[in-house]
Amino acid sequence: MAPDPAVIAAGLSELAGCPVTVTGAASLGAQRSTLFIDLARPGGVESAVAQISTGAVETRSVTAEAALITTVGRHGVPVPTVHAATDELPGVGLPAMIVSREEGRTIPRHILRALPDRAAGDELARQCGTALAALHAIAPTEAPEAFEDVSPAQFVELQTQRLELLGRPRPAIRFGLRWLADNKPAPVPSTIVHGDLRNGNIVVDDDGLVAVLDWEVAQRSDPMQDLAWLCLRTWRFGSNNRPVGGFGDLDALVGGYEAAGGTFRQHAFDWWTAARCAWWAIGLAAQALAFTTGRTDAIMLAASGRRVPELEFDLLDQIRRIAP
Amino acid sequence: MHDEPDAVTLLEAMATTLSDSVVPALSGGVQHEARVVANLCRILARELAEAGPDRDMYAALLGHDGQLADLAAELDHVIVSGKAPPETLAVLLADVTRRAEITKPGYTFTDGT
Repeated sequence: MAPDPAVIAAGLSELAGCPVTVTGAASLGAQRSTLFIDLARPGGVESAVAQISTGAVETRSVTAEAALITTVGRHGVPVPTVHAATDELPGVGLPAMIVSREEGRTIPRHILRALPDRAAGDELARQCGTALAALHAIAPTEAPEAFEDVSPAQFVELQTQRLELLGRPRPAIRFGLRWLADNKPAPVPSTIVHGDLRNGNIVVDDDGLVAVLDWEVAQRSDPMQDLAWLCLRTWRFGSNNRPVGGFGDLDALVGGYEAAGGTFRQHAFDWWTAARCAWWAIGLAAQALAFTTGRTDAIMLAASGRRVPELEFDLLDQIRRIAP
Repeated sequence: MHDEPDAVTLLEAMATTLSDSVVPALSGGVQHEARVVANLCRILARELAEAGPDRDMYAALLGHDGQLADLAAELDHVIVSGKAPPETLAVLLADVTRRAEITKPGYTFTDGT
């Protein structure tokens, strides 16, 4: 259950070092609650956003995430400004972070609806490519220690372990992991990878990309992982003919990425597309397992179990397309 | 025998009530939850309305009959061992296509993209 709002406000006040008023809920996701807050600073009231991790599954250090956001922001990646972060919000005990409020649209279908034409969608895709190139150009040693280095081989090994934990056979995912193990891309030096850059974790205004949000699964890995995840069918929200988040063409994303110094690798992109389908299929099944085993009573997590077939389809459909 | 209306009819009626009456009266997070529950009712109605052919597909692939859970576990082991027959991808793709069309009708229509 969610903690008492007054307790949350008191905890956030202590974290921020000034009185905090909760003004609304931006979203109450499966993994974290995002609240609109006002910070009563000596110089005046400042709008901000508080994120409180409520995840029943797969959480990681929020202070490490905050340090990473600050680092990548220094290198030109558009991100919110981190005001404060803690792994235990006073009185609440959950990880929490306070960041600047970036004005713009965040709900995927609103982002798609507000685009005036195809060119605007392609421009947004280009900007995503530029942001990813800036991220991938940062020396990976600048990421906090907590961020593991995940090669394609390790990725498959990790997913195989996660699959075993589901407690029931899933031949479609098993087939996908076997194919991934047999068709790994040539290794490249790891870069910092956002890991969850998609339509749904970006802020967009009429000029395009404002900020990249939600760095909780960042890692060191093959940079193509980020481009592939951004283009997964499940994040196109029905606009299947626009591979980049339902808004742009792949050429626009790659154009922006390469113009800003990135190198696009087709096979690695195709492989990571399949790999992240497997990852998300297992992730959705794990959310459903958290419900069936009584670790959460959230209906949203229970519903995730019925999204697994979509990702299993995407996984096998991708393999069918690219299999030699 | 259960009483009338049957489960499929009731689930569809529950979905309609949620979508047409409950969802418009709500806002924010609970409105989204109500939408998700309405969608789950529709998924369950579609599940109940179709007899899953996955057992027969797995049995044909493995060359013998059995309980679905046993066949799935055996297929899982066959894939791990690298001895999956060449038609495994096609069979699994047909199975996940059927299941994805229950959870989200139209999802597997890829239109060449």
